[in-house]
Amino acid sequence: MSERMIWLLIYAVPVIAICGPLANFLVIGFWRVDGSSMVADFSLANYVTFFTNPTYKTVLIKTMYLAAEVALVSIVIGYSIAYFVWKCPRAAHYPLLVMSTIPLLMSYIIKLYAIRSILGFDGFLNSLLVAIGILDHPSTIFLFNQTAILIAMSIVYLPFAILPVYLTLERIPESLLHASSDLGASAWQTFRYVVLPSSLPGTVVGGMFSYILALGDFVTPQMVGGVQGFTFGRVIWSQFGMAFDWPFGAAMSTVLLFLSLIVIGIAGKIVKKAENI
Amino acid sequence: MSWRERSVHVFLGIVTAVTFSILYAPIVLVCVLSFFPISLHKVDWGTFSIDAYVQLFENADIFHALGNTLIVGLSTVVATLVIGTTLAWRACRKGGRASQIVEFAIFLPFLLPPIITGLSLLTFFQQIGIDRTLVTVTIGHILFVLALVYRMLLNRLKVLGTSIIEASQDLGASGWQTFRYVVFPGLRPAVVTSAVLAFALSFDETLITVFLSGGEQTLPIRLWAMIRVGFSQDINALVTLILTSSIAMTVFAAMMFRGRKMAGGSAT
Repeated sequence: MSERMIWLLIYAVPVIAICGPLANFLVIGFWRVDGSSMVADFSLANYVTFFTNPTYKTVLIKTMYLAAEVALVSIVIGYSIAYFVWKCPRAAHYPLLVMSTIPLLMSYIIKLYAIRSILGFDGFLNSLLVAIGILDHPSTIFLFNQTAILIAMSIVYLPFAILPVYLTLERIPESLLHASSDLGASAWQTFRYVVLPSSLPGTVVGGMFSYILALGDFVTPQMVGGVQGFTFGRVIWSQFGMAFDWPFGAAMSTVLLFLSLIVIGIAGKIVKKAENI
Repeated sequence: MSWRERSVHVFLGIVTAVTFSILYAPIVLVCVLSFFPISLHKVDWGTFSIDAYVQLFENADIFHALGNTLIVGLSTVVATLVIGTTLAWRACRKGGRASQIVEFAIFLPFLLPPIITGLSLLTFFQQIGIDRTLVTVTIGHILFVLALVYRMLLNRLKVLGTSIIEASQDLGASGWQTFRYVVFPGLRPAVVTSAVLAFALSFDETLITVFLSGGEQTLPIRLWAMIRVGFSQDINALVTLILTSSIAMTVFAAMMFRGRKMAGGSAT
């Protein structure tokens, strides 16, 4: 066997391990379920159900909206933090970046559990608000609704946006900033016309990460969303648990897959365009 | 800095401080609570105790799950390092179409929502008749972290440059010798950093694992199941211990990474 053949075999393993299951999955979306077993015949029934039943469409649109909110929070706050770090004295950059990365490595489940107990009726937030006199008595509005999901997801996914932004800010040559101010640009003009366009790729990548993660998350809505908090990820998840309709679940995940690919594609385009300028 | 720039800086500093305290609050809460008993949903701030830690060491169930997590994590690290190094080494010397296809494929599980990777593997394993064990969990984790390890190693290889490889080959070294004596020493910091990151990601992976673990559960899955029925104090203790070690690990990886950056910087 030639060396080339060996390499092609080595290449084939990860490609098959990733694309095989994905392809298999696309096919199952066209199957149907009979009792508790899957029947392999081709029909568009799952997709028809999905796109004609307003319940599913509403959940999808609501989830896309929720994910956009999470991405927006991540971008605005993530950018602010990255920009702050970048403007700090050089020696402070590294410790601050490590500090913003550590939350990513804290247990996801435990974070959600703790957020739930902070937001809950007996929780820290209620005690604080009652203690400083904003509330007369503890409120239930913080937990088990869409707002709780938004808060929890923002806390969990925000750190993903800090590092990508910082990395693009750091690549801006100092000479460019000096040139801009030497030519008489104000601090705001330098930010608007030099810094912001140069850091666009990192911002888009950070936003993409939190958008896609929020879109497919099914544990956060289950933990802090209660009965009201249904998101698309949770609906898919329930098809593989309680409802036990794998083909329908596969069809819905296919929708999620294409949605994510579109988002990745758009982000990729923006990054490419920004880097060519 | 003008006063206006300075006030923007101070404002962003406040935003950063507030955000950091919100990001850290959940975990700090868990750590603090691990030292105080809870009765009737109220924390008894008067009594400091390490009972939770004593209880923890009697909880065989948790330690079993922790053991599973460590097995999966270490296997994932070894496998991704071997596969990642092989692919990056090839991609660095011979780019081309095949490399690009592989690169695209291994980035999918990293970029797509974890639920898609988890579900596609679940249905795939079920179809070809493979039972769900720690092996299926490990396969899921390998596919998930491979992109990160590959990318970090490839970046490092690119920094090292091709000239030393060519020099080594001109002097008559074989491909393996070049890798072993010329490339690997320069690659080592990236290997350590990516190993730590891969382990950390695998250790906490929940959204893929939940589809792939059968009877043998990993720690996050076990914790999730426990939270649904109610939470005992010893979990707080466990989380405190894990958090302490993961922070130590992160700081270690960060220091390795910085060492590598400085070494790279002084060489150029």
